[in-house]
Amino acid sequence: MFRKALLALPVALALGATAHAEKAPEEVLQGLIDSIDSRYLTQSEMNLMMMPDNPALWVGMDGEDLFHTARGPNNVSMEACDFGKGPGVLEGAYVEMPRYFEDTGKVMDLETRIVHCMTDVQGFASDDPAVRQRHGSGSDHMKLQTYIAMQSNGMEWNNPLDHPLEKAMRDAGEVLFARRAGMSDFNCFACHGQSGKQVRASVLPNAKIGEDWTKAISWPAHRVGHDNVRSSQHRVRGCYYQMRQPGMLAGSDASIALISYWTDLARGQPAILPDMKR
Amino acid sequence: MFKKKTPMAAGIAAFATILFAGGCAVADTGKSGQVDYTAMTPHELAEYLIFEANGGGFNLSQEMQEGGTARERMQQDELQKACSIIDDGKPDAETMAAIRTAAQESIVYPEGGIQLGDWKRGRELAWSGFGYRVGHNYDDHSVRDVGGTCYNCHQFATDRTGGNVGPVLTGYGKTRGTSDAILKYAYDMIYNPHVYFPCTHMPRFGSSGFLDEQSIADIMAYMFDPESPVNE
Ligand code: HEC
Ligand code: HEC
Repeated sequence: MFRKALLALPVALALGATAHAEKAPEEVLQGLIDSIDSRYLTQSEMNLMMMPDNPALWVGMDGEDLFHTARGPNNVSMEACDFGKGPGVLEGAYVEMPRYFEDTGKVMDLETRIVHCMTDVQGFASDDPAVRQRHGSGSDHMKLQTYIAMQSNGMEWNNPLDHPLEKAMRDAGEVLFARRAGMSDFNCFACHGQSGKQVRASVLPNAKIGEDWTKAISWPAHRVGHDNVRSSQHRVRGCYYQMRQPGMLAGSDASIALISYWTDLARGQPAILPDMKR
Repeated sequence: MFKKKTPMAAGIAAFATILFAGGCAVADTGKSGQVDYTAMTPHELAEYLIFEANGGGFNLSQEMQEGGTARERMQQDELQKACSIIDDGKPDAETMAAIRTAAQESIVYPEGGIQLGDWKRGRELAWSGFGYRVGHNYDDHSVRDVGGTCYNCHQFATDRTGGNVGPVLTGYGKTRGTSDAILKYAYDMIYNPHVYFPCTHMPRFGSSGFLDEQSIADIMAYMFDPESPVNE
């Protein structure tokens, strides 16, 4: 704990050099807290205090190394990969995903785009652990996602909807969000349709309030209860589990449609990257 | 039509026709057999992404506790369709009325009338969030009883922290009494709350088969028994 506290400053400085972020993630969150009265945003003072020391910062640092290292059978680094703003350009890339990619003809979220980069550019087999292992702070995926996402800290969510496929996916996501099914008849609004609502002790974000929702979708985040950095896809899976519906498959078009819509819901609000959650 | 094994079919078909046209037209571009997402309505595309795209967007082959597979659990019954509204609005008045009627018809009362069971068991069931979860961590009903998840959304006795998605139920029996009318109201609410609140977010614990008769009686005892901490 102490060791981390002591290291926090240099880490923030080192990352600041590449992140171009004017505000630290906790300052972005504080700005939202100051702008609106929200029990969701303020529910964990502890997390707010610990954010300068967020373990996700280290995961992101590992990701930086991994990103710039030549890897895979083709021995190339991810600098050769396009995350929407040209090869190797990461600044502001994540807040504009999911987006349509010409080279695959598909709308892709960050996780699927990393898979594409690993397999098609670096040459990893799709069953290689680097590609397959999606969860946990130690996974390549979480390291890379965290690093890439951090280059959008403080920037406004703005996933493009110009391409007809982007629009179609977003609109299908809107239907999925409202779609009730399963043993409990739940849709996402059952728990995320009102402000200040609690499921047991957790205060839930209201999907209709942008200031709430930007924090809700700011993944990767260190989940204190899991002691691991988690992704958007991991959160989706967790909510469907509580809804008594089956697991959504990571990288499925259904999951990307849902994430397209949930990003659209936070449009114009600043991303908190990396975030820290309960 | 009714692929789900719920006993709520009766009556609900009556308003099926005023809902979605049903069926999922899949547009084909002809381009290497690829499906054109942009040619579908958002609703068609959502259904396609759930059930068809690359074999389906969910783990559809997993077996469910109630029998059948996840594919069947993801299929909507008429109520779920009627209440799946963009931005979470309410359906029109005619549909709302049809939902109430269908809900009323779905309710099965215990032989010999509504009984209060064991409040101690009810206390645990009202608290428990166990049951019917599937996916990476499957609820095995042979090792534990299915709970009611009531505390997720309600506060009951204050010795445990409940949610506030639904109203506070602390002191429920004490303030409402135990007349036949109030017992029936509570039973109906647990069994199928759409009778009184069409498109509510509270689950249909009886109609869906989530809770059995004994568990409902025990949870009701927790709410109404004078000895229960709810009524302290
Ligand atoms: C039964 C209630 C319930 C439903 C229905 C539900 N969620 Fe959640 N969701 C939660 C809870 C509880 C949390 C917070 C977890 C925590 O605090 O540990 C959460 C958290 C989230 C978060 C992250 C916010 C945070 O602070 O952790 C997102 C994003 C989210 N849900 C999206 C969705 C989507 C999308 C759906 C529909 C597919 C959905 N949820 C359906 C209960 C629900
Ligand atoms: C997902 C949230 C949720 C869960 C889980 C839930 N409820 Fe509810 N409940 C509600 C809501 C919301 C209402 C208010 C009706 C409405 O406006 O839709 C309600 C209303 C009620 C009422 C009527 C209250 C009154 O004013 O008289 C009772 C009784 C009740 N619930 C009991 C239960 C019991 C018992 C359980 C567990 C078996 C349970 N509920 C589980 C959300 C929930």
